[in-house]
Amino acid sequence: MSQLATDEPAPVAPAGPQVGADEWVARQAQRREYLPSWLGGTERLVEKVGWWPRLGLAAAAGLVLPLLHVGQFQLQVGIDSLVLALLALGLNVTVGWAGLLDLGYVAFFGFGAYGFALVSSDQLSAQGVHWPAYFSIPVVVVATGLLGLLVGLPSRRLSGDYLAIITLFFGEAFYEITNTVASSKLGGEDGIVGIDPIRGFGVQLLSTEQYYYLMVIFVVGAMIVLRLLEFSRTGRSWRAIRDDPLAASAMTISVDKVKLMAFAFGAMVAGLAGTEFAAQQVSIAPTDFTTQYLIMIYACLILGGAGSIGGAVAGALVLNVVLDGILRNPTYTGYLFYGLIVIALLVKLRPWRRLALVAGSTIVFGYALHAIAAAISHSWVSGSLQSGGWIASALRGWVIVPASATGPGDWGFVLLICMLIALAQVHGRTRTLLLVPTIYLAAFTWETLLGTPTNASITRYIIIAVVLIVMMIARPQGLLGTRRVEVPT
Amino acid sequence: MTAPSQPASPPQEGQQPLLALDKLSLGFGGLRALADLDLQVRDREIVSMIGPNGAGKSTVFNVITGIYRPTAGDVRFAGGSIVGRPPHIIARHGIARTFQSLRLFMNMSVLENVLAATYGSTRASPVESVLRLPRHRREERQNRVLAHDILAFFGQRLAGYRWDQPAYSLSYANRRRLEIARALATKPKLLLLDEPAAGMNPTETHEITELIGRLRDELDLTILVIEHDMHVVAGCSDRVLALDHGVKIAEGGFDTVASHPAVVEAYLGRDPEALAAEPGGPGGSPTQGGTKDR
Amino acid sequence: MSFFLQELVNGVTTGALYALIALGFSMVYGVLKLLNFAHGDLYMVGGYIGFFIIRWFGGAAKLFIPVPLLVTIMFVAAAVVVGGLGVAMERFAYRPLRNAPRIAPLITAIGISFFLENAALLLFGAQYRVYNTPDFISYSSGIQIGSVSIDSVQIMVLVMGLFIMIGLQQLINRTKLGKQMRAVAADREAAEMFGINVNFTIAAVFFLGSALAGVAGVMAGLLFNTVYNTIGFLAGLKAFTAAVVGGIGSIPGAMLGGLMIGIAESFITGYISSIYVDLIVFGILIVVMLVRPTGLLGRAQLQKV
Repeated sequence: MSQLATDEPAPVAPAGPQVGADEWVARQAQRREYLPSWLGGTERLVEKVGWWPRLGLAAAAGLVLPLLHVGQFQLQVGIDSLVLALLALGLNVTVGWAGLLDLGYVAFFGFGAYGFALVSSDQLSAQGVHWPAYFSIPVVVVATGLLGLLVGLPSRRLSGDYLAIITLFFGEAFYEITNTVASSKLGGEDGIVGIDPIRGFGVQLLSTEQYYYLMVIFVVGAMIVLRLLEFSRTGRSWRAIRDDPLAASAMTISVDKVKLMAFAFGAMVAGLAGTEFAAQQVSIAPTDFTTQYLIMIYACLILGGAGSIGGAVAGALVLNVVLDGILRNPTYTGYLFYGLIVIALLVKLRPWRRLALVAGSTIVFGYALHAIAAAISHSWVSGSLQSGGWIASALRGWVIVPASATGPGDWGFVLLICMLIALAQVHGRTRTLLLVPTIYLAAFTWETLLGTPTNASITRYIIIAVVLIVMMIARPQGLLGTRRVEVPT
Repeated sequence: MTAPSQPASPPQEGQQPLLALDKLSLGFGGLRALADLDLQVRDREIVSMIGPNGAGKSTVFNVITGIYRPTAGDVRFAGGSIVGRPPHIIARHGIARTFQSLRLFMNMSVLENVLAATYGSTRASPVESVLRLPRHRREERQNRVLAHDILAFFGQRLAGYRWDQPAYSLSYANRRRLEIARALATKPKLLLLDEPAAGMNPTETHEITELIGRLRDELDLTILVIEHDMHVVAGCSDRVLALDHGVKIAEGGFDTVASHPAVVEAYLGRDPEALAAEPGGPGGSPTQGGTKDR
Repeated sequence: MSFFLQELVNGVTTGALYALIALGFSMVYGVLKLLNFAHGDLYMVGGYIGFFIIRWFGGAAKLFIPVPLLVTIMFVAAAVVVGGLGVAMERFAYRPLRNAPRIAPLITAIGISFFLENAALLLFGAQYRVYNTPDFISYSSGIQIGSVSIDSVQIMVLVMGLFIMIGLQQLINRTKLGKQMRAVAADREAAEMFGINVNFTIAAVFFLGSALAGVAGVMAGLLFNTVYNTIGFLAGLKAFTAAVVGGIGSIPGAMLGGLMIGIAESFITGYISSIYVDLIVFGILIVVMLVRPTGLLGRAQLQKV
């Protein structure tokens, strides 16, 4: 960078940025990379701090957290989030760096968990196998890496879509093997119970707090290792084959070997996460390692930004804390929900006149709809709002809540999702127009659906799916990733 | 490397060429892309390949670098046959290339593009890299020196430029230069340049012509160039090869080939003087648009 | 022997279903080079539509319209609604990603698949929805050849499958729309330059492919009697296997592959054990991909450099 200032460009290029010149293109690209408005400002501020100090701060924050009077539930959410973060880190190697779509990734997690469980429980024989953790964890991690090599073998001849399907089948095969085919050895549907805690050198990890610290250490350790790898010979070759495998092979990179290494590294990280998961959960079952969980991991990585170490971790923490920690409590959820809508509108809608127009028309639209519904049947509007406090008084009178809320609420929710996806596509006046019914529908859905906790897990999955769809369209680089360019070949 | 002062003369019997194509043929289904092509390139020679779009010029490169496997014939490099070897092995033997359609690692920085091509000449394993063991540190140091030297080769154009910027932010001409730089980082003996001057203005074209000469003189490289711009071809080649429909129609010095009746006919029967004088070359403007050319 | 023939008949029927799903997969792959993971879930939606139509017309036991009319309505409704769903999917999720990195639409496809599965779970419930086909189409109403029986639902599936495939083949080879589809599949940009409405053509491909999946969903409901929200996942995977075995992008290939997978599955269930069906189909896929990645009827694509 320092040479830039001293070396004035060649005589043909006039000073200062100009259209078509590298300088201009680069600056333009940089401008677009930041988040809008004040979010972008924060991003720039964070970028001023180097990567390693930032990791140090994050790690310190993670370690201090349990001292701040948090309960067991919050700690457990923290552990789950960190397991996800570790998984997203591993997935980032295969998907984010090497560009290999591995849809059987969750099986590596499962393999690690089952591997650890088998050598740390009474599953294999009556008196059981109980290896100490300092032995079993490395063995299981290496074994998972070898499995990764094996699964990666087809990647030598297949790429992109075919690889995705092969690995998806592999994930499915893992589920079937643990669930039915080898049920006598692996416990079938019930899985393996009574797994030892992590122990060795006379120490046993028993409390949630201890596991939380262990996970922080694992995640930070994995981040350090991967960061050192990213800008090394291996890391560069991974990113090279993602951008252009053919050119990479012409530039002396042994594409097959590099792909296999990416698979193995990703698998090893997943295996590590699996061992810790098994030890902390005490019992594991095939249903812990389904496609649903795989998609959750993908959503974390995509949300945070594929290709970015910090992104993978941040995505996992944000998504899981929001879905698991906050969405459990209706009051918090309400504030979060409406807060997000308001913030999104504040950030996105300019000028203020338009914002006022949208807000006003939403309420007018609401009153009109409410009046029509009430005229047709009283039962359509006789339900009670789910929100309490000042939110309820603000919404009463213009948000319809039917007496039997579940059915309409569900349909409203699905419709809302569809409208959000559509909203991500249209621009200008259409978007402003579409905003009015969307906001109204959001409020309607919220007020009718919130009281039906039976469907919480389903709505949660739907939110994950939407994160994937909308992120790919609106911000494919994720929250912290860098924008990527692909030249179609 | 053999004696650098070797004069540029037609290949002689008994002297071993660096690259030899022997009755090379390639067919795609019913289409014959190359037919019995013979070519010998000696050390430190610059040979240009010309011919209309679709004549099979890039196909020759793809066969040499192992991307396509010939249906018949042999490719010998430095004495041994390289047919059937995977591309990365061929590249490690010392054949580097650029791509007509520009296949940079677009999302990696300028410097990283060059560093990535040192993969074959380095050994550090992932474990060594993570632990920052001596081999990793030594290799990274050497690679950086190499990358600086190579990028410095392009003078004001790439040297001192923002090496940390992603490759996609480069202009078209600079992408072409970076492709050459990346190819050089594999430490080749033979460099295959696929339309290095495509999309460049006259000043830049002139620079590229000089650069090709300097690559031979200063780095002792043997160079095979595909080019439509006759200024480049005339300015740098020791020998010119004309292809049409996968068949060699003429070979020899530039003036001989450019005025050869078969070559003139291949280029729509145009006058040879006009051909040589026209700045756009015989391909004319389709040079940049001719990406369908295999 | 009769067991063998019976399994063969069952296999061919299932195979026809897989072939119908595989056709849509293959067509979409042909024009967009996109693996539409959500395709299997469209089949699931088709199954639900069939179920709700039976319910709206009085339920399986107390139908108030004639059975042929009911079946026609089921197929038409499934084709139209699911086709429309496919078009919407294309417009709002895939179209913005046409020039995005290759991996982006794949991830979107996974997202859509997951969305459809869970939306169905939310809206239609977790319980198995039962068609009760025997209540309105008797199993004994088919034909009996020796000891092999082919019931009327199977006959209907086979005949319809055959007609759809012939019709599709004709559509693609003979009509203007088919020509446009082939042009877009071969080179989208060139097709656009020749004045072909690429967006419309791709939407048409999505409509047709999805409609086929919808029809297959109704057939599956009639044939296997139950519909639930995850039937699309495995069916989609197997249809994909069928498309690859036959040669992805090739219409006759998808049919052939579908039949082969169906028959193989039927024999594995009959002679070995149903536990291993998925694993063996998986094995077939891997072997085909490694030995002959272009599939049985596919043509090798030249790598452009």
